[in-house]
This record gives sequence, structure tokens and C-alpha cells, in this order.
Amino acid sequence: MVGKDCVAIACDLRLGMQALTVSNNFPKIFNYAPSTYLGLTGLATDVATVSDLLRYKVNMYRLREERNIAPQTLANLVSSTLYEKRFGPFFVSPVLGGINQTTGKPFICGFDSIGCIDFAKDFIVSGTASEQLFGTCEGLWEPDLSPEDLFETISQALLSAVDRDALSGWGAQVYIIEKDKVTQRLLKGRQD
Amino acid sequence: MTSFGRYTSAETVGYSFSQPTSAPNKEHSFYPYTDNGGSTLGISGSDFAILAGDTRSVAGYNINSRYVPKVFKIGGDDESGDGAHILLSVVGFAADGQALKERLDAVVKMYKYQHGKPMSVRACAQRLSTILYQKRFFPYYVHAILAGLDEEGKGALYSYDPVGSYEREQCRAAGSAASLIMPFLDNQVNFKNQYIPGSGEGHALEPKKAEPLPRETVEQLVRDAFTSAVERHIEVGDGLQMMVITKSGIEEIYSPLKKD
Repeated sequence: MVGKDCVAIACDLRLGMQALTVSNNFPKIFNYAPSTYLGLTGLATDVATVSDLLRYKVNMYRLREERNIAPQTLANLVSSTLYEKRFGPFFVSPVLGGINQTTGKPFICGFDSIGCIDFAKDFIVSGTASEQLFGTCEGLWEPDLSPEDLFETISQALLSAVDRDALSGWGAQVYIIEKDKVTQRLLKGRQD
Repeated sequence: MTSFGRYTSAETVGYSFSQPTSAPNKEHSFYPYTDNGGSTLGISGSDFAILAGDTRSVAGYNINSRYVPKVFKIGGDDESGDGAHILLSVVGFAADGQALKERLDAVVKMYKYQHGKPMSVRACAQRLSTILYQKRFFPYYVHAILAGLDEEGKGALYSYDPVGSYEREQCRAAGSAASLIMPFLDNQVNFKNQYIPGSGEGHALEPKKAEPLPRETVEQLVRDAFTSAVERHIEVGDGLQMMVITKSGIEEIYSPLKKD
């Protein structure tokens, strides 16, 4: 979700096999640069594989370029990584959020499982509660939110959405990304 | 042995016009239901209830019409619905919705003729459940919401599944965009996940209590819910029909929605 000079990215903490809850502490957001984060929903083994593969690629990028990867660059890296597996895809739908350190501008985007990028100005949703998230985000979000208001908006949107989805929930993790500050918060949420 | 195309026969001569008796019959099928899409939404207040629905009717990706109402007055004196004191919204299969509305309307009218007093919303709610359950094995393919004022004059809202299971609630969204609207309503009407700031730390935090909202707030929430749904659901759009029931009667408000 985009705010004024800030970006927020949030995920729930449930891991399950259909109706069976396997873990209630499974964060889905990964860090690739000081102000660049990637959320991964979908098949858990692919979430782990893709996040590790990208960590390897981003590390190689940082060693070769001697600088951090920009969100836009990571977006293209994610896209090409996913499209490489065009006919045997990773079952993940990633969400990327970050601030470009050169321009200072917020950047968010989403992907389908084969790497088609969805550039959005407002918000990106993914996962089993995506319909619910579309409803809450579309209803609660407004342009140019301050970091504090953006935190409240994304948290309310996520918590209300996952409470209407049996396959999501068990608390949440929220990152508020500003140009030179990142705040991570854990939300309790309903434990059922 | 002679062979004529697909059909092989030892005795009969194949004429171009003769259908071999062994030709497989094509299986025809008829599916009695269509999903006409759209969404409805009801919220009750302290002395009023609102029922709203979009006016688009679809079949697959086709738009049948941009104005097919989903909210009806029940138990009116004439065609215009004047004198009605109950509202019904139906979403799902429009033909079943229409039939159900006609049935319930007739029932409420007959009740008045036979008992000499208008049917209470509570009685009407129970009767609607019975009507739906009577067709348990060939159901009315609709998600119905009934609204009115209860015996104390408070807003009453009842929601149903297609076979008559029902419950009185503060708010309910139904139809194709229900999954988008319902969590928004949980948050904004029942204040779910909201706490009173500074009321405590951690588990001691006091949840914000849900209380009936004023009419202006509710009307704005309904508009917001639908404009949001229109953005993200292709089956919702064209127009928003809102019916507000108060002790002074029923008010109908129509406002356009995006037609894309």
C-alpha cells in the first residue's frame, strides 16, 4: 500500500494445508535491500525456494554492482525469475513494496505466478483472502496517507479481510517503509 | 461388407436421407438456473433500516440490462407498493427472486385480509424461511435479505441462505461482491478490530463497542461499499438502488454507478 513518501507491506502469519493449520508463525515478507521488501503467498515450499533463490540473485547483484538493488530492478528480476519457469511455474504470487533510494519515490507492484507485473499506484493484494482484501483496501485506502495513518489503514484492511477468510489469519506482520526508516510491527489479531 | 462413412452395415443399403437406427442420440440437457450476478447490502439502525442493491443484470459476460431492481417493497396496497412496511432484496437467479418476491407479497397481503392487521416483520421473516425451505430440493436460487421495523420501532434486518436458514443481523452483504463488501462492513459498522485508544495495554485494550449508526453515516457507507465493489467486480455496476424504511414510510433513492 502506498502513502505519502512511504510504503507499507503486511502479511498474516498462518501456514496451512487446506483446512489444517500447520503453523501460526510463518511470516511471508522478505527483505532484499534496506527499503525493499517482498511478500510471497502460495505454496509454502515455493515461498521458501523463491525467497532463497532471490536472496542468492540479489546478493550476486550487490557484489557485482557494489550497491543495493532498487525496487524497480528487483521487480524485473522477480519477473524474469518467474518467467524462466513458464511451463512449470512456482506457485507463488508475490507483492513487492519499497522506496527507490535514488528518486525517493515509493514503488509497489504485484506479480502472477509466471511473472507478469502489475504496476499499481494504490495497493496490491494477493493470497487466499485477495477478494476480501480488494474490498477492504478499496474502501479504506485514500491517497497521500502519512506513515501513521498508512499503518492504521493497512492493518485494519488486513485484519478485517483475514477474519472473513478461514484460510488466513493468526496475527499479522506490518512493515512501514520510509526513506530512511523502517518500522516493523506484530499484530495480534484473532487466534482462530 | 460395405462401409458408408461412419456407419457399417452388412444388410441395409445406406441412402443419403436414411438415419441408421444405430445412430447415437445427442443428449440434451436443461439447466434451470442462471447466475444473474450483482450484489445487495442491508444495514439496520436505531429507527430505520436500509436495503440497497446495484441494478445491473448479467449472464456470463453479457449485460442483460442496466436497470433490473433487486430491492422490493412487500405488502403494498397496489402496484406502486404504497403502504408497504417490509422490504425484500434478492440476489442470485433473478427469475427465482422475482417469483419469491411475488409469493411473499401475496402472503403478506393475505395475512392482512385474514387477520385485519399488518404482518409483523418477525412473522414475515419466519414465513419467508418456511417458503424457502418448502423448496428444499429444488431451491429458489437466491440470497434474500428482509428489512423492516420491529415491534419496538427499531430497525430489523434478516438474512437468508437459499434454503431458508436465517438470522437477524446488524448488517449483511449478499451476492457476487459479498466477499468484498462484508469485511468492510465488519470494520465500519460493527467496528471489528477497532479498539479504544489509550484504554489499556495488550490484552487489556478495550474493543470499540458496536452501536447503531445515524442514517447519514449508513447511507454514506452503503455508497462507499458499492463504489468500491464496482471498481473491482465486473458484475456490479450501472446503478445503485437504495430503500430506506422509517416509521414515516419507505423512501427510494436511485443514484448512478459506473457503467463499465
